[in-house]
Amino acid sequence: MPRLILVLTLIAAGAGVVLALVEAVTREPIAEQRRLETLRALRAVLPPADNSPDEDRVQLVIGQDKRGRDVVRTFFRGRSDGALSGIAFKVVAPDGYSGNIDVMVGIDPQGTVAGIEILNHAETPGLGDKIELPSFKAIFAGKNLENADWRVKKDGGEFDQITGATISPRAVVGAVRKGLEFYRDHRDEVVADNEHQGDRP
Amino acid sequence: MTLGQEFRKGFWRDNAVFRLLLGLCPALAVTTSAENGLGMGLATTFVLVCSNIVVSSLRKFIPAKVRIPSFIVVIASFVTVVQLCMEAFFYDLHKALGIFIPLIVVNCLILGRAEAFASKNRLAPAIADGVGMGLGFTLALFVLGAVRELFGSGTLFGYAAFGPEYQPLLLMILPPGAFIAMGLLLAAMNKFDAHRK
Repeated sequence: MPRLILVLTLIAAGAGVVLALVEAVTREPIAEQRRLETLRALRAVLPPADNSPDEDRVQLVIGQDKRGRDVVRTFFRGRSDGALSGIAFKVVAPDGYSGNIDVMVGIDPQGTVAGIEILNHAETPGLGDKIELPSFKAIFAGKNLENADWRVKKDGGEFDQITGATISPRAVVGAVRKGLEFYRDHRDEVVADNEHQGDRP
Repeated sequence: MTLGQEFRKGFWRDNAVFRLLLGLCPALAVTTSAENGLGMGLATTFVLVCSNIVVSSLRKFIPAKVRIPSFIVVIASFVTVVQLCMEAFFYDLHKALGIFIPLIVVNCLILGRAEAFASKNRLAPAIADGVGMGLGFTLALFVLGAVRELFGSGTLFGYAAFGPEYQPLLLMILPPGAFIAMGLLLAAMNKFDAHRK
């Protein structure tokens, strides 16, 4: 009996040592990869900026979840020669065809969309996943709350849905619209020059 | 059996997916592209060879009563190693394979080889067995992934395989396509073997 305990303990301890070593070696590269991924998406959606938008950010509470905890949204701010050139933020479309769709939205300070990028989704391959196509994402550029009707064409708006898939584009359009509305209502807090840099990832 | 025979046994004659029909969950779920199939197969091979090495080396040290938990701890550790390394150095593949990397732990192929082979054999045959079974699994996933990607998206490793007019057979990259492709490949293999005899 003691031998069983001893052997299993030794094996688990050995596994622990190996895992600790590997974790130590990979911690930095993994953090870097995640940062790069965010930065890639930010660069894709923001108007030209010469700072590191992932380090110039402000976090605002956008509501409460079911358990009453605060839901926080991070706004990344791009600057060109020190002046605010654009803002990027992530919106979540909960009403896609399967699961959440995470969308990074980039806007200019006046609230006109510069570009969007689909970060994560589980839409049907070949149908709903066409929201990833450049031709779909390009529809959003140049649109704001005043100059566009934020609905897909099937619902009477002006956003082209995708052949065979209306639900996914509808979810994306709705989520981006809600993001723009939040920005319109809280613009002062988003562009304020408070020092939130390096607060939280 | 010689080492070469041990290798061929896993690679072809007792191929995990096409012959024993083991490890079908990852084999059907991740093979939406040739790259995913290859990545998943190689990750599994790494875990299988490493766990075979450790289990075979420790076979006299591990009492029979705690062998299963011991094997699982060993396998789970290597899976975590793979997961961390993949996220650090092959980020896109890591994102594509997602939950199926941690699920290598419960791939019955790996525990099966540890229990049925590595724990009863010396180091060299255990390695040959792991490499053969692992690469056989990789081959199966790669073929399945390539076939599904070719017909389902009209590409191979992301490069267009047919002309632009090709209308992709969507079904093939959806879950039912996995079963259909798998069935057709099994039938082709049986036909091939029957013909050879």
